[in-house]
Amino acid sequence: MLTTYTISVFTTNTIGLLNRITIIFTRRRLNIECLTVSETERKGVSRFTIVIRNENREIVEKLVRQIRKITDVLAVFGYLDDEIVFNEIALFKIATPLGSPSLDVKTINLDWNAKVVHWGLDYVVVEKNGSEEEINEFYAYLKQWEILEYIKSGRVAVGKTEKGLVEYLPEGNWEIV
Amino acid sequence: MGKTQVEATQPTSTQTSKLKTGAQAVMQSLVEQGVSTIFGYPGGAIMPTYDALFDYRDQLKHILVRHEQGAGHAAQGYARMLNKAGVCLVTSGPGATNLITPIADAMLDSTPMVCIVGQVRANLLGTDAFQECDVIGMSMPITKWNYQIVDPNEIPEIIAKAFYIAETGRPGPVLIEITRSAQAETMSIPFEYKKCESIISYKPRLEPKEEHVEAAAKLINGAKRPYILAGHGVLIAQAENELKEFVEKTGIPVATTLLGMSAMDADHPLFVGWPGMHGNYGANVLTNSCDVLIAIGMRFDDRITGDLSTYAKQAKVVHIEVDPSEIDKNVKADAPVVGDAKAALKALLPLVKKADHSEWRAEFQKYDDEEYEKITKKDLYHEGNQIKMGEAVALLSDKTKGEAVVVTDVGQHQMITNRYYRFKKHNSIVTSGGAGTMGFALPASFGAKVAVPDREVVAVIGDGGFQMTLQELGTIAQSGLAVKIIILNNNFLGMVRQWQSMFFDNRYSFVELQNPDFITIAKGFGIDGHTVSDRNNLGESLDTLLNSNKPYLLEIICEKEENVFPMVPAGACVTKVMLE
Repeated sequence: MLTTYTISVFTTNTIGLLNRITIIFTRRRLNIECLTVSETERKGVSRFTIVIRNENREIVEKLVRQIRKITDVLAVFGYLDDEIVFNEIALFKIATPLGSPSLDVKTINLDWNAKVVHWGLDYVVVEKNGSEEEINEFYAYLKQWEILEYIKSGRVAVGKTEKGLVEYLPEGNWEIV
Repeated sequence: MGKTQVEATQPTSTQTSKLKTGAQAVMQSLVEQGVSTIFGYPGGAIMPTYDALFDYRDQLKHILVRHEQGAGHAAQGYARMLNKAGVCLVTSGPGATNLITPIADAMLDSTPMVCIVGQVRANLLGTDAFQECDVIGMSMPITKWNYQIVDPNEIPEIIAKAFYIAETGRPGPVLIEITRSAQAETMSIPFEYKKCESIISYKPRLEPKEEHVEAAAKLINGAKRPYILAGHGVLIAQAENELKEFVEKTGIPVATTLLGMSAMDADHPLFVGWPGMHGNYGANVLTNSCDVLIAIGMRFDDRITGDLSTYAKQAKVVHIEVDPSEIDKNVKADAPVVGDAKAALKALLPLVKKADHSEWRAEFQKYDDEEYEKITKKDLYHEGNQIKMGEAVALLSDKTKGEAVVVTDVGQHQMITNRYYRFKKHNSIVTSGGAGTMGFALPASFGAKVAVPDREVVAVIGDGGFQMTLQELGTIAQSGLAVKIIILNNNFLGMVRQWQSMFFDNRYSFVELQNPDFITIAKGFGIDGHTVSDRNNLGESLDTLLNSNKPYLLEIICEKEENVFPMVPAGACVTKVMLE
């Protein structure tokens, strides 16, 4: 059975590190489902959130160890979905020319927990936060209109523990941004 | 150095003043790091650094190779002898890409190397400028770390970091690329070099965890049929004495991997040979009979394990290894011990009980006897007129008393050399194991000789591999160092021919070579040599080679279609050893 794993990689902020991390996946023919890179609350520390699906936990564990081996990597964690709080964000650009069915903004807001973030002349942009599943369901709902563009971000995730990031990092002076 | 060149000048004012150019900073950093030797080849994008080197030529011995690949392999040979990083200096583009093979080789065989390569001026980066190549991108998967310098102020810190990363933990190659502009520009801060002692994101564990050592000791003490596989990690950690003490106390038979050869005295009663595709009969078969398998500083390469699904399934595995990513990678460890081989063996020693496993050891002997009858005897004491590779190596071993540094290339002769050379002295093998790089031996043997000029260094090379890097005869001749070169010539790419004969229905597809006159070639480079094809003259020929106080080439014409046995076919179970 395919299981979704979220891999959080904490690194020093170095040029080329993204490449060094992704080639570990490429070489083992593992597909990255999505990838998000951002700064953290600690100066000089970047966070990569990588989602992969695999049937074999061992492969994922080996992958985590290979990532940990990279000189500029500070810490790596592999999570199952129930061990993290996670979210994604999607934007939908929907055509609303004269004569098209009118957009039910109330339903979008209240039932789908999404919102219109931009009103164009003949289109609107709707933003939806949620899990991949919720976003997919919302996509299905929006199909009654013409979807001009759809884009979804990678996952962002934090672990369900009381610890802060600093406790996972090697001892050092981790200044808050 | 040519006589026309001017003598080394006193340090110039720019060299002594506090502000240095990037190029001078590179040189000063190398000196302060304690580097004495550089293997290199100049070119456009590294010229400012070579210009600075001219002022440092009394402090840094630069060896001009004939091809950048030669610089890389020479640095590897050097590094393997001294357990410290070999340094290469080459230009951008093709200069750097020619280093790719040695870097990949060093990565697989855990060899410390610091490669300093030039790059086009910073303002030309990404413009497809002359001799511009994405060397950082290319070398990423095959370096332990790499870094591009565009700001000369970074040079001392990055060089210090490079050596620290290359030499500590599981050693490996590091590449630093410096733009021509960063070499030429003057630093805006005073030069200061501090050796790197730690990196926040890189903390190799040398001292094993106590509970891991205890768990390992418990398994070892309970074992009835324990078996040790000692690898390259033992040589790297210089843990040979600890290993000896450990096996003598516990009475456990020990095999060494191809790269771990010479970790044990070949005549030690507990030494049982080597495992793997062309390893010894007992050393392979009994892997699947032992009850505790103790792997020390090795990584269960597929050439050792064969079919993993049948490999040592009955055994509990103790895996002592400095690189945590190797634990459970190929073989599951019941008692993993992450740490340096020396530290781990030291920690284990007081916890293990004295034992005698002579009955179990005797099982190896039974296999050894059969192997001797079926293979060794035929190799060494045959009736034919032609020279067999095995007898040549065995005689070399006798004549050097097993004390030479032996450097091999890749192929049949490599397996034969490890089979018949009886290593008596630690850290005496230099071979390309993981990458299997043909062309490795000639430059690597030179690098080894540079590192340990007082030791006898003998390169054993096949006729195929020799032709891949033979231009380095020029480097050897220019240095005058007495590297002893043996070509075991069978006019074939022998190992491929053997496979074609055994597994491809004797279809010899492009493996026969029309070889040049190797002796004429050597003489063209100013290196003396001769050919021997008569068995009766082999001893005398080896004497001539070994007695030479200059580099010397001995070509030994060997039986053309000799196959190497034992053999575990690729991917087969280790008990499926073919003896003929």
